[in-house]
Amino acid sequence: MEILLCIDDTDNIDSIGTGKLAALLSDALENNGWGEFGPITRHQLLVHQDIPYTSHNSSMCCTGKIKPEFFEMVIEFAQSFLRRESAPGSDPGLCIVNRGLLSDPDALITFGKKAKTTVITKEEAYQLAERLAIHLSEHGGTGQGIIGALAGCGLRLTGNDGRFRGHFQIDRRRERIKVCELMQQTGVDVVKSLDGRVLDNEEVVQIGEKVKAVLQDSKSTLLVFAEQEIRTGERYWRTCTKQQLKIF
Amino acid sequence: MNIWEENPPGKKRFKYGQESYLLAAEAARHCSSFIGDDDDETVSNAYRSCYNCRYRRWTSDSFECLKS
Repeated sequence: MEILLCIDDTDNIDSIGTGKLAALLSDALENNGWGEFGPITRHQLLVHQDIPYTSHNSSMCCTGKIKPEFFEMVIEFAQSFLRRESAPGSDPGLCIVNRGLLSDPDALITFGKKAKTTVITKEEAYQLAERLAIHLSEHGGTGQGIIGALAGCGLRLTGNDGRFRGHFQIDRRRERIKVCELMQQTGVDVVKSLDGRVLDNEEVVQIGEKVKAVLQDSKSTLLVFAEQEIRTGERYWRTCTKQQLKIF
Repeated sequence: MNIWEENPPGKKRFKYGQESYLLAAEAARHCSSFIGDDDDETVSNAYRSCYNCRYRRWTSDSFECLKS
């Protein structure tokens, strides 16, 4: 069965971040032999004075393929993991969605999008989770993190929100490589320009300092922008910078 | 040039919003409290920038420094 697992509000200003914790959790679940987990995406939620976030208000979500008999064990393990590993003073929330049982995905997506623009209450999150048979639980503090955890699952489900956690290690012996090589080295599904054109395999891309993927059309997408050599006028592509990827 | 303001009272707020990359980098260059945040939470190309600092807290239009 396919699941979405999302956590939020697990950190404090001096602890490891929620992204790192999500990676440790999905690694632990895999090591238990309960299934395989995919890359983690970071979803930006509303930054507002009435929301008690640590410093940026984002949640971290991953997909998993698990054996159905382990579903309850995954939930119990994730709960005790969050109780044990979340930072003092944090308000952790956990959301686990069984995609096969999700009767109204649009409602979850709508909730995720709403969490980017509106202050939402815990009650609203719990009501939706109950209606959609989604696991939603809090593990300390105010438990406010359930809102972001539920929203993160909705945003992941859109297929069009967030950046993937981490960056790629790329062979830097050459400054520029073909798209097909870039895809092979990174495992991304597609290389696209910022205005949405899918690059051909033979086009050439200059590798920037940190290369990250974003989630677009449910694919891991590596974004590039056009540059021109000043001396020769040669046009080429370059991987997007952190500043360019900030909006995702 | 003063790039900070006390707004609301008791909070040190960056006056130049979320897109002033040069000023945010310059501010961090002189700051002894700077510690880089998790890579996934950094947004400036310059590593040493208040925008990338563990002690910045984003607000709707800028950030506040938690080391004030």
